Amino acid sequence: MTRILLACLAATALLGGCKIVQKLPEAVAQGDGAAAPADRVAQVVRDTYESQVLPEIAGKAVEIGTLRTAIAQGLEAAGATHGVQATGGGGWNFLARGEGTVVGGDRESRAAVLDVDVDADGTGDLQIQLGPVVKGTALRDASPFYEFTDFKDQIEFAGLARALNTRATEGLTLPEGDLAGRSVAFEGAFALRSATEAIQLVPTRLALEEAE
Amino acid sequence: MNINRRVLLGVLAVGATGVVPAFAQESKGLIVIITPSHDNPFFKAEADGADARARELGYETLVLVHDDDPNKQSELFDTAIAQGAKAIILDNAGADASVAPIQRAKDAGIPSFLIDREITQSGVAVSQIVSNNYQGAQLGAEEFVRLMGESGEYAELVGKESDTNAGIRSSGYHDIIDQYPDLRMVAQQTANWSQTEAYTVMESILQANPGIKGVISGNDTMAMGAYAALEAAGRTDVVVVGFDGSNDVRDSILAGGIKATVLQPAFAQAQMAVDQADAYLTNGSTGLEEKQLMDCALINADNAAQLETFALAS
Repeated sequence: MTRILLACLAATALLGGCKIVQKLPEAVAQGDGAAAPADRVAQVVRDTYESQVLPEIAGKAVEIGTLRTAIAQGLEAAGATHGVQATGGGGWNFLARGEGTVVGGDRESRAAVLDVDVDADGTGDLQIQLGPVVKGTALRDASPFYEFTDFKDQIEFAGLARALNTRATEGLTLPEGDLAGRSVAFEGAFALRSATEAIQLVPTRLALEEAE
Repeated sequence: MNINRRVLLGVLAVGATGVVPAFAQESKGLIVIITPSHDNPFFKAEADGADARARELGYETLVLVHDDDPNKQSELFDTAIAQGAKAIILDNAGADASVAPIQRAKDAGIPSFLIDREITQSGVAVSQIVSNNYQGAQLGAEEFVRLMGESGEYAELVGKESDTNAGIRSSGYHDIIDQYPDLRMVAQQTANWSQTEAYTVMESILQANPGIKGVISGNDTMAMGAYAALEAAGRTDVVVVGFDGSNDVRDSILAGGIKATVLQPAFAQAQMAVDQADAYLTNGSTGLEEKQLMDCALINADNAAQLETFALAS
């Protein structure tokens, strides 16, 4: 019996043509358009943004000054103390809050940003992303209750990150024009893959005040 | 039985890939490594990475290729089951079609550890260590948008339709690019991951769209083909961005040709999968979530010199 099986297998390998009837999985209903997953993702965001994401940030955000000091001393240690890393490794995701002064930015680009000085030296220390193009997946990845395993594939999981970014920035109302000199208070998420990389924060809260 | 088994292994290995399996003295058992064809250096790097790590850890290995044919992959799984493999390391031949053979191996007590491409079900494989193609495509697209100055006509070369990663990368590109209304896609065609096909496709796109400023490609082999066609037409001003992080594109970037690509850490990923297989076989658990996303990295003129065989020297 074993010998017959072995012989058959050997023949399979040699000829490469021996067809073994394949048991196909139950047809998995999945539209090839983005509609179905997008709906599911939209539902997840509705169910979790205010009830889980915002409380997570309110409870866990660290002062930006503390974070910058820790990161300057070593990203790995700073991440282990203050950050979250995805199962597959990669960058560290941080939740931060702080105040600073707008020293520049780009309101023209679709990926608009404000440059913010948080240590009063007159130069920008981080960028606050204003959208509508918001880069990165920090908001998703800093939230430990979203697991990749729970999502169908990378497209759906990436859709979650983008929907969260959109949810966070679509409500921002900033006056037009140059905001240089204005004070801002912010709360949000950012990711770093190296200690020297620029901080690009996705704001979940952004408040402008008059300077002085 | 022992003699038969050796002969069979030899025959199978030679028949399938020409790679002869290793026989360690005190073997911890057989790990079967199945990937797409090694014609693409990316998959060769994967297979080499897994093979080297498995031998280091004291396993015998059998390295096989499915050529992106789900039927062939199914046969290779039967081979692995018949061989009493301890574990299977797989870069699969189809997100849906691969579920059944992986389940069959699981039922036979053989855990599978997936790399590079994911499947549509959780709970069948022990690990799915996936390159974050979406994140990588977004990185590539952000660089492409920057190089294009946020405006102008461009073309997209798409990979093989049956490969999930072709669609994922295209979605990742458009997730970023489509948010810039002044960037206008004038052509979107598949070149099936092929360099020669990309050359031909690029020639005809260029004829129809002489005003083109950029080409974003689903992988590096197609980027190489497209750049060759642009070079032949005297259009080296066109911005080309690829995906994979191959040594060919690295050399082109360093020579001022192709502008950027996105590195998938193929070698490291394959080694991680073997480490997780070893942990699972030793402790009964990897201690990790099933699905794991590994980040890709942008490669451009700033860091291309540090790239070698799908790994960045730090």
